[in-house]
Amino acid sequence: MLRYFARRMTFLALTLLGMTIIIFSMLHLSPGDPIDLIVGPNVTPEVRENIRHQYGLDQPLIVQYLGFMRSLIRGDLGQSIIQHKPVSELIAERFYVTFELSVTALIMSFLIAIPIGIKAALKRNTATDYSLMAASLIGISMPTFWFGLMLLYIVAFKLRLFPISGYGTWKHLFLPALTIGITDAALVARMVRSSMLEVIRQDYIRTARSKGLPERVVINRHALRNALIPIITLLGLRIGWIVGGSVVVEIVFARPGLGRLMVDSILARDYPVVQGTMVVLTTCIILGNLLADVLYAVVDPRIKLR
Amino acid sequence: MRRYRGSVGKGPFGVSIFIALIVLFGFFGIIFSESPSMAAEKKVIVQAMDRDPDILDTMKAAWYSDALIYLHDRLVSRDYNFRYRPGLATSWDVSEDGLMWTFHLKKEVKFHDGTPFTAKDVKWTIDTIKDPKTASPFAGDLKAIDQVKIIDDYTVQMTLKYPFPNLLFNLSNTASGIQKAGCYDEYGEDYGIKTVIGTGPFMFKEWVRGDRIVLVKNPHYNWGPEWMSNQGPPLFDELVIRTIPEESSRIMELLTGGVHVLRDVPPLQVDKLKNNPEINIFTEQSTKLGYLAYACDKKPFDDVLVRRAINHAVDRETIVKYIFSGYATPAYGYLPQALKDEYLEESEELGYKYDPAKAKELLAKAGFPDGFETTLSAENDSTSRRLAEVLQAQLAEIGIRAKIQLFDSASYVAMLKAGQQDLFVRLYSWPNADILDWFLLSSQFPYPNHSRWCDPKTDELINSAATAPTWEERAEKYKEVQRYLIEQAVWCPIYIPDMMLAVRKEVKNFKIHPWMIQYSDGIDIETK
Repeated sequence: MLRYFARRMTFLALTLLGMTIIIFSMLHLSPGDPIDLIVGPNVTPEVRENIRHQYGLDQPLIVQYLGFMRSLIRGDLGQSIIQHKPVSELIAERFYVTFELSVTALIMSFLIAIPIGIKAALKRNTATDYSLMAASLIGISMPTFWFGLMLLYIVAFKLRLFPISGYGTWKHLFLPALTIGITDAALVARMVRSSMLEVIRQDYIRTARSKGLPERVVINRHALRNALIPIITLLGLRIGWIVGGSVVVEIVFARPGLGRLMVDSILARDYPVVQGTMVVLTTCIILGNLLADVLYAVVDPRIKLR
Repeated sequence: MRRYRGSVGKGPFGVSIFIALIVLFGFFGIIFSESPSMAAEKKVIVQAMDRDPDILDTMKAAWYSDALIYLHDRLVSRDYNFRYRPGLATSWDVSEDGLMWTFHLKKEVKFHDGTPFTAKDVKWTIDTIKDPKTASPFAGDLKAIDQVKIIDDYTVQMTLKYPFPNLLFNLSNTASGIQKAGCYDEYGEDYGIKTVIGTGPFMFKEWVRGDRIVLVKNPHYNWGPEWMSNQGPPLFDELVIRTIPEESSRIMELLTGGVHVLRDVPPLQVDKLKNNPEINIFTEQSTKLGYLAYACDKKPFDDVLVRRAINHAVDRETIVKYIFSGYATPAYGYLPQALKDEYLEESEELGYKYDPAKAKELLAKAGFPDGFETTLSAENDSTSRRLAEVLQAQLAEIGIRAKIQLFDSASYVAMLKAGQQDLFVRLYSWPNADILDWFLLSSQFPYPNHSRWCDPKTDELINSAATAPTWEERAEKYKEVQRYLIEQAVWCPIYIPDMMLAVRKEVKNFKIHPWMIQYSDGIDIETK
């Protein structure tokens, strides 16, 4: 077990290293100069050079990269060029907003998906199954952006049940979380269905039925428990993607989250902030995967982490 | 078997739903308990913006939040006719040669922390902006000022390097809001983020990055400019400036009353909002100009005949009608009509009207009877993109085959700086004739002089206008500049978009101001 974690942590470090190299080179190779956004063109070249020097942007790229890595190892993400504040502070301010959204969305998505998936599996090849699966296909294909706006238009604008945008109370959280939750549920429901179908075909289910157990017991005790194993691991895999995928929803619902910080910083070429948010997002995804593996071992005793 | 089917189907389904509801409500319950019940009868006006500022500091900001207008006062104010009127300075004298400006300051003005405002704050603000260590984007605009001298607590004298009547404009800008002397030493890194101190009608309460800026009324304010109907404190309690990046969300917030004031209403939405009984739309000509430009140092754009041909090829009326739903004015000159003193009345007469036949003739004369191939660059926002598409079609009519290239704004600037442009679409927004200095002086090459226009005659005309001893002479000389630019067809001016504000009906006494909403001038809100 310990060795397993050691290996996974090494893997995490290596992935982060690879990611920083890619992000760093992509950012610095793309056209645009953050200095333009700070001071504009109407200042003397000396002032521009001063600022460039202050942020170390006058150094060769490789030196800049090593400097960034050196601070990263010490847990320092650097200073935002545009927002005049340490990157870690900016991320800390925004992280909770995104985290709260992601967790709520994830819970919603599983609470919606699991019953639908089970229902569809039990009613396999009936009209119920077809309509549920058709609905989930629509759910998967819908762009989050459009779906968010539609929810906003109908639930918040027409029915006035929730505030349209902003951040603060549970009412502000509900629609954005539902947007992600429903689109994500569509995917998860299909997985629940196929996992359930697979389990139902197993010999032990036939045995249970032939023993004369009531169908309710067969499904709840024998089928569902086993069918949920792959689903629980999904929980870990999805959390990372949901955090990364919240960008669009944060824009539509005007939530001051991490995704928006990242997009704004990319547009402003605020290199340290983009690097910092990417490090945090990548870590979330990798930790999510790790969580998935651990959950797998916990719910299925046959699996040993090595 | 049958007997169980029904209940089995519902079993896990029903249970999960039940758990789902409990968990959800439990989760929300926790947050809900924190949600404040709104204090009764607090009058709040909410304005929505599409972006969040980088910092709330007039001296360092790269982009000014509207909040800065209300947090600070400036020496000079701008009235509803865009005339320069007393602000924190009650009056000013200019020496005969235009080099010595003496400002007499208002007495008994206090900063939000209670400190009296005096001449030392003016000197500190201007010196700090000019100090290269501050790296203020605004430093260049005050370069005419040689030094600032304190005569006594309420008199400041500025010595200029050359005559510069436009100092009035620069001192009335957002960037020259008077700061409290030494605020950086006092508040350190947090200044402009957690603390902002000014003398303005509103005081800083909080800034939740990416979400909102909250300002509260300054109850001691009684030094509003004389041209306002109300010199005292604002009539309502709080001004909230919210950041809502998505346009449709902003509009829906306005329609449901979550937002009261929207600046920059998109033209396509105006008609719909006009029909809404809860919304008032205010329009006025803006100080913006949309134009098509070209790299004047490259072939074939170095030929004035080609430049004129392009000007004749553009059908401005069609563009205004279809891209801006009529909420814009066709432009033929280089400055918008809203700059009353400097605008060249005969722009349209001297300019180039839509005439494709004449355009073709000019192209042939320049040696391109079959036109030529080129590129047309634009920023990737919906208006620029559509404008580029229409221009592409109109230019094709005279044989100019342009390939459209779209950029995000940072890449666009980088591309223009590198001089990779042929034809390109731009929009400026600036309420002063010195925009021509900015874009067309050869000293501004290669950026912001992105039309790559280096011409000694233009330099001479503009410099003579900028340093004219009086405002009137300056205005006349800028007209001369515009006549010359039209003759040379340096740009192809296309449209002046309307300034459009949408305001909910419960907001009372709203008046449109050519520069910025004057919230302290009697604007109020009815609470339900």
